[in-house]
Amino acid sequence: MELSLESLSSFRPRTGTLEEWNAAYVRVEDYLRAHRIHNRLHQSRLIQVILVRAAKRHERMPTVSPTTLAAEETEKWMDDWFGAVLGTTDHSHERIAIDGRVALLLCDGPQRWPYAFLEDKNVPQDFAQAMTASAMEAGPDMKTSNMVPQPLDFGVISETAGEVLERIERYPLLGMLALWALFLGVLAAIFYWTR
Amino acid sequence: MTATCVFDPSKMTPRRLMRRRFMFFTAVFSFTSLATWVMADLLWRVGSFGALEVSLLVLFVVLFAHISVGFCTAMFGLYVINRGGDRCRITQTVDWNKDTPLGRTAILVPVFNEDVSRVFEGLRVIYGSLKDTGKLEHFDFFILSDSNRPTQWIQEEVAWTELCKQVGGFGRIFYRKRRQQINKKSGNVADFLRRWGKDYRYMVVFDADSIMTGRSLVQLVAMMEANPHAGIIQTAPRLARGESLYARIQAFSNRLYSPLFLAGTNYWQQHEGNYWGHNAVIRVQPFIDHCALPDLPGSEPFGGRILSHDFVEAALMRKAGWTVWLAHDVEGTYEEGPPTLIDSAKRDRRWCQGNMQHTWLLLARGFRPANRFHLLMGVMGYVSSPLWLLFLILSTGMVISQVVGHDIPFDRPEDYTSLFGYRVYVPEAFFLFLLTLLLLFLPKIVSVILTMADKASAQSFGGRPRLFLSALLEIVTSSLLAPINMLFNSKFVLFTVLGQGVGWVTQQRQAAADGTDWREAILTHWPHMAVGLVWGASAFALSPMFFWWMLPVVLGLLLSIPISIFLSKGGIGLKSREMGLFLTPDETQPPAELTLLEKNLSECYQHMQPIEPLRADYGLLQAVLDPYVNAVHVSLLRQRRPSEESREWFTELRGRLLRDGPAQLSQKEKMALLLDAESMIWLHEELWRQPGEALAEWWRLAMRQYNVLTTHPVTALYR
Repeated sequence: MELSLESLSSFRPRTGTLEEWNAAYVRVEDYLRAHRIHNRLHQSRLIQVILVRAAKRHERMPTVSPTTLAAEETEKWMDDWFGAVLGTTDHSHERIAIDGRVALLLCDGPQRWPYAFLEDKNVPQDFAQAMTASAMEAGPDMKTSNMVPQPLDFGVISETAGEVLERIERYPLLGMLALWALFLGVLAAIFYWTR
Repeated sequence: MTATCVFDPSKMTPRRLMRRRFMFFTAVFSFTSLATWVMADLLWRVGSFGALEVSLLVLFVVLFAHISVGFCTAMFGLYVINRGGDRCRITQTVDWNKDTPLGRTAILVPVFNEDVSRVFEGLRVIYGSLKDTGKLEHFDFFILSDSNRPTQWIQEEVAWTELCKQVGGFGRIFYRKRRQQINKKSGNVADFLRRWGKDYRYMVVFDADSIMTGRSLVQLVAMMEANPHAGIIQTAPRLARGESLYARIQAFSNRLYSPLFLAGTNYWQQHEGNYWGHNAVIRVQPFIDHCALPDLPGSEPFGGRILSHDFVEAALMRKAGWTVWLAHDVEGTYEEGPPTLIDSAKRDRRWCQGNMQHTWLLLARGFRPANRFHLLMGVMGYVSSPLWLLFLILSTGMVISQVVGHDIPFDRPEDYTSLFGYRVYVPEAFFLFLLTLLLLFLPKIVSVILTMADKASAQSFGGRPRLFLSALLEIVTSSLLAPINMLFNSKFVLFTVLGQGVGWVTQQRQAAADGTDWREAILTHWPHMAVGLVWGASAFALSPMFFWWMLPVVLGLLLSIPISIFLSKGGIGLKSREMGLFLTPDETQPPAELTLLEKNLSECYQHMQPIEPLRADYGLLQAVLDPYVNAVHVSLLRQRRPSEESREWFTELRGRLLRDGPAQLSQKEKMALLLDAESMIWLHEELWRQPGEALAEWWRLAMRQYNVLTTHPVTALYR
């Protein structure tokens, strides 16, 4: 973090409205909380650094929302930091972000090292080791097999019945007539039995 | 289980096995013949022996043979148990004093929109139990998800990650989500086999609610190693963790009566057993080679894809020459039953269609007779219901024809029973009634006597008086439920034949917490009550004597609504437990695994739920909003290159999701987004970048409240 608390306390954005910067503040705060950064002191330091950076950019790009700029600054900072900690600076932004967050989750970084998140200079050794050692494997390497159904001889009766059924399925009207015939047959049988 | 190896399966020669089966089926045949004689005589003596009487007799033969099979199985079980147990058991093939080397085994947990906490806490218990055996290194775990609800899917991913973190399970516990849910559970397992089957010698297939102790898993694999011709070894899972009165009664009857039936089944089936779909170990390579399921002729409901795969897989395994055993004496294997009568009926609806499809396979060339018999019994499990119904209707028809026609039996059957020319001065119908009752209830009575005779066993069921009272109440309850299930199953069979689906009433949210509510019960059971009312009133009007004969059937139907509600209540189930009723050894002396599962789950369920407006789409919320969940989710997705058209579609979809909120998207659209890695990365970044006014109110609320009240996000498994 290149800015001291003293310099941050005098931070006054020169562009944008108060509401816009408050919204940006809340957004960064929410995002850090989503990262389970619950240490208020650390959180507010990070927010202020991010907002100072965003404010500088806003002076050059006043049409862009401070919230957007603050989010972009957060992402960029995290990319740089993850890349440095994991030694993956040459990877794409998406890859760094995904791998970094997974590593942070798996080593329980925010809980076990509450001051380490986005710390540029004094990254604890054991934290860096835990980050690089974190690996997630959803499945082992594939060794494909061929599992193909063997044809089954259903026997003469079943085969014949199957053919009849498939024929009936081709003619739904015939099927309905057969069903009605069966129904009438049952009625006739009941009539006969109760005579 | 004895410690030393005393059984060599090769000693069970075909001749010896044939002798056992000859005795068994002769017993079935004898009982059926005796009853048929009495029934034929009764029909003969009440009047003319016409088409109605012939139909009644044919139905009677089929139905009586069916219940005789159950009775004879139990009686052979009694014979076996009285001899101190059958030596010819698969568990007797291993010397348990020796440390048997184990083959590499995959434990498969196929899941489909199940309670995520239950699945993963169950897995935690099994994992821990296996670790305690010191044999964990031989086992890998696979959660094979077919869940198609966004929240369910994301919860599973989160729970998997948390579980692996907590137990150090990365590299041993794996998670795989299928994009296309082809062929349901059997397709899910087949997909695993095609990807990773070669890596494993055995697989143990679980249901989402299965629990097996580490010891039982090690035993299963050891038995496989000791029996190189064994293709499948099935255990007999106990029903556990029931809370409602219905579930507790089912668990009680399962625990009390099943030993007789299991011992009898093993006696005659031996290496030609059946597979029940879970809690079983399977040799992987022969399963890959022989058990891919072919389609049946025609299309659903009768043809097409095989729905109940397990019986067929056992038959295919046997056809290929591999043995299938029932390890009924392996302890520490559990499953959960449905909590209510209506839930049980819903499950039966699925099973009914699957079992009826097996009709095609009864005559399949190459199947072993024992497997044909298993398939037939499966079909009869459901078809017997409409046959019983028809039998009762025809009996009523016969009474109507007698009353209307003023027929007077020419040889009064109420005076005596004629058996092979000898007269026994007991009313013939009553004799038949007693014989039927004997077949239905003697196995239960014998089981109670056997258990009560052993003080320790009786104690594990709550002591002799409570065991006796519980068994009595169970018999009353099952008698009341039988006609309701008969009507349910008759409807299922009819609807399956007609190719129709069965609609179910949706539970009201408030009532779902404690069983069936009145609305659901009335809408589900009113036809049963109406049938009972009409039938009972008609019977009484025709002949009061006939009404008393019909009362056991009519009573259950008339009371179906209050019975269904009463049995579904968890509070009543708890009360019965406090009173010491329907206790099982798994409740009085619970294994450590079940106790731990109970404790872990009660902690899980105590956690705060997401706030109401966010609850329905909480999975999607987490996958988009939470940086960690998003990263885990994207890591688990396969990267794909979408076409230009689909890219445009995804772009439009993402915009809508952020702008309008998830309620404006269909489940299919949400699933499509969740399956697209590019979209998930974009959504996460854009959600946090866009100013509040560009986002739906739903997202703004989500961002403001996320992780505010808890230090961690709400998941199905966090502690």
